[in-house]
Amino acid sequence: MEFGPALYQEFGEARKTRDGYRLAKTISPDLPPAQLSNIWKSVNSAGNWKAPRDDDVKAAIKRGLSSSPARLDGIGHKEIKGWVEVYFAYWQTTGILAEVQQTSSWTNAYEQWKVLINALIQGYNGHEFEAWTIPCLYVAGKHLRLFAMQADENTSVNDTSAAAFQDDFDPELQKHQKLEDCARVLNRVFSLCLSDRAPLEESRKWGLYYIINLLFKTYFKLNATGLSKNVLRILTAGRGDMPDFHSFPKSQQVTFKYHEGVLCFLEENYVEAEKHLTEAWNTCHKDAMRNKELILTYLIPCHLITTHTLPTAKLLEPYPRLQKLFLPLCQCIKKGELHKFDLALQEAEDEFVKRRIYLTLERGRDIALRNLLRKVFIAGGFEPVAKEGDKPVRRTRVPVAEFAAGISLGSEEKVDNDEVECLLANMIYKVSRNLPYPRSFCLGRQGSHGCQD
Amino acid sequence: MMPTWPTPSPPQGVPPSNVYTATYPAPAFTPVQVRQTFGQSYSAPQPSYPTAHPYGPAQSPPPVPTNYQSSAAPPPAADEQPRKKVEWPDSVRFYVQRSFFPANMDPTVSREEMEAKLKETIMRASEDNLLYSIKWETMLLPQQIIKKEREDRAKAIAYSAQVQNPYASTPAHISKKRKSADLEDVANLSITPPWRTGQGARLEDRVTFSKDKRQATEESADNTSKLNKYEKRQKRFNGGYVSTYRSPSPPPGDGPVVGTCEKLEKNYLRLTAPPKPENVRPPRVLKNTLELLKKKWKKDQNYAYICDQFKSMRQDLTVQRVRDDFTVEVYEIHARIALEKGDLGEYNQCQTQLKALYKLGLKGNANEFKAYRILYFIHTANRTDLNSVLADLTPTEKKDKAIKHALDVRSSLALGNYHRFFQLYNETPNMGAYLMDMFVGRERLAALCNICKAYKPDVPLRFVTEELYFESDLEAAQFVSDHGGQDLLQEKDGTIVILTGKAGQTFENHKAKAFARVDIKGQI
Repeated sequence: MEFGPALYQEFGEARKTRDGYRLAKTISPDLPPAQLSNIWKSVNSAGNWKAPRDDDVKAAIKRGLSSSPARLDGIGHKEIKGWVEVYFAYWQTTGILAEVQQTSSWTNAYEQWKVLINALIQGYNGHEFEAWTIPCLYVAGKHLRLFAMQADENTSVNDTSAAAFQDDFDPELQKHQKLEDCARVLNRVFSLCLSDRAPLEESRKWGLYYIINLLFKTYFKLNATGLSKNVLRILTAGRGDMPDFHSFPKSQQVTFKYHEGVLCFLEENYVEAEKHLTEAWNTCHKDAMRNKELILTYLIPCHLITTHTLPTAKLLEPYPRLQKLFLPLCQCIKKGELHKFDLALQEAEDEFVKRRIYLTLERGRDIALRNLLRKVFIAGGFEPVAKEGDKPVRRTRVPVAEFAAGISLGSEEKVDNDEVECLLANMIYKVSRNLPYPRSFCLGRQGSHGCQD
Repeated sequence: MMPTWPTPSPPQGVPPSNVYTATYPAPAFTPVQVRQTFGQSYSAPQPSYPTAHPYGPAQSPPPVPTNYQSSAAPPPAADEQPRKKVEWPDSVRFYVQRSFFPANMDPTVSREEMEAKLKETIMRASEDNLLYSIKWETMLLPQQIIKKEREDRAKAIAYSAQVQNPYASTPAHISKKRKSADLEDVANLSITPPWRTGQGARLEDRVTFSKDKRQATEESADNTSKLNKYEKRQKRFNGGYVSTYRSPSPPPGDGPVVGTCEKLEKNYLRLTAPPKPENVRPPRVLKNTLELLKKKWKKDQNYAYICDQFKSMRQDLTVQRVRDDFTVEVYEIHARIALEKGDLGEYNQCQTQLKALYKLGLKGNANEFKAYRILYFIHTANRTDLNSVLADLTPTEKKDKAIKHALDVRSSLALGNYHRFFQLYNETPNMGAYLMDMFVGRERLAALCNICKAYKPDVPLRFVTEELYFESDLEAAQFVSDHGGQDLLQEKDGTIVILTGKAGQTFENHKAKAFARVDIKGQI
């Protein structure tokens, strides 16, 4: 919104109704260049055409805010001063952003926007900003992250100016210089919200999950999942005096649960992961297809491990990408086609690794192996009927050689008996871990063939 | 009153040759000598100068070894002296003793100067009530203090006059000195570990010092107990390099340092201020250092020393921003040595740097170390990083022998295929076996658990030996009994079997423990 009576009016109205989101809109940089340019000029055009001095601009903003047509009951001098800093920083950013398409000076935009977010933090710390205004922090944080990513993209990797003479340097980190910085700023915002001691109704703690989600996104991008864990730990420690998780906006709940689930997933804690992801899945808006797809990307491998079940065609129907990702593998698991499973895994390896599900899906091979064993068993048929009219009896012993043949099916490789026994031993171990040990389900060494009931 | 403080006056009639008859070191004598010296020195500040003074001729400085042989005479005399109120702590006595170790002597510092400095140091400590809180083990020796003061003065001159640093002119001399001192340090590891002598002690000094400042006397007792703990910890680590605390790095200077130091060896000290060029060795010197260290490692296998030296070398490279093939070589060699010694902490630091260096396109054995990296992450069960490694591999790299091996190890474990795993263990390329040794034990336990569940009622011991790649039946049997399975071993029809049917939970607990969190921070 251009700097002028309309903006000041809006500021006053938002303040009167204590509408944080309305207020946040007045500092949104998410505008077409023309509009940004208008804002930039709106301060200049008032005076004669000389670059205005910073103090003059601040004074103008201060006059504007103080004389807002909407009545600013009880606004303190300090609070006005705080907002002047915020709007001043905003105005400066608009100047950069209006031309960023031509200049690509995203780094400048980032730095200037950081001034704004710092002004906000200042405002909360010293200038008596009230908690209802936290949506301003959302807007500031959200765009800080976006600008940081843009800035990093436009910075050449070779710029090693900041390389300290520390023992450890990492070109990876250099690539994300601004985003790293952004993570630090967001962390300050996180502390700002967390440390608020005001009663819950007017606490900045209501901003926690939005900021945490931003932090998660940043840390994931930085490949620093360990830092996300830290956030979770801090959160768990302070859970006592926090608003109930379920009273936060659902969108924030979903994002949070998704990330919490993925973090557990990465630590191979599939039971916890499934819990969180399922909650995210159930809370997710039904039309948020992209989000649902993301949740399923991890929930499906999770489910495969915890319950040994494969996704149904119906579940995957609306998600062509997921179909492509999971269906070939699922087919092989179902049919016990070991060799094809290996090929399918190899085929999509890059994609799986990129999504960090490769190591989990790989374990689907155990299930394929189990299904193969079942097939070999069924193919074994029946014991020869001893007496005419007797009911045929299933053959209960599976020679190791037969299973070995089943494993080699479709591949050139021959597996030796010891290895087959090893695989069988593994399966038996898994079964016996959860169930009381079935006596007749074992490997006999002497005869070198397994038996199965 | 007996002569107490060692004096510089040359004993008449003692020919210099006598000095060299002494045998070093003679610890049986030195403590006594020290006790004698310090038991009286402060009570009798005016030492007399008897002709039969136990010390060698101090007028001819180089070399100035103490004649321990003749110092045997005074002890009885010392014992006759009435006990003074000031009880010198053992640490102080050792400090004095250490100062006069022949190996620590410095030809450029005269005995006279040394003794004066020693006296000054201890007097001041005594006056300030710091005798018990100062870490005498790490305190600079008097000759070192003197040299340092000289150096500082020289530096000041060198800086203002812009002349070459005074040590460049006598490099051979200095380095020879350093070498022997360092070697001696290493030999006396239990007394003065190399990371605690000289400059290396600064960090600790600072840590204790800040405390001293606040409550020097009240806390001294508490302090010592803490220090004891620290010492115990170091002992536990068997004299290896320990670095856990990292102070904040100093702000970067204007540009890379250009080193002028000509010494080959240098102890490591974590920087807390911008490095000084005269303490930094340029790559030209470092190349010689590397050759020297390689030889020393082959000869002495002294890891504490080597690790310390490599760290200082790495630091010199870093502060000069030298990132070339030589840098890679240094890191690679250090990583290999650390691997061999099972120092995972240090290895991991090298590995992390190597990863970055290879990314810069520098030559080296990238594939060898990528393979180690994979094995390392298997050991630490770091799935997130393992995934990142996989993501970074190119198709060509995946075909490399070492990398493929490591990948196969990973997948064999993921699929519980211990048969395959132990085959791979047997054919590990390069030095990967050192890494695999770290987790082969726990995998054996896991496999044993599986076997016990799957094979009933027993399996021949030989089967386990072969499947789990033990060197011998004996080793296998040992492993079984080490993990509570001694009762499961039995002879049956002329062969030894393991009663798998009776194993129950025997190995499960050990397995669970073995797979519990892998602590990688513990560096030896």
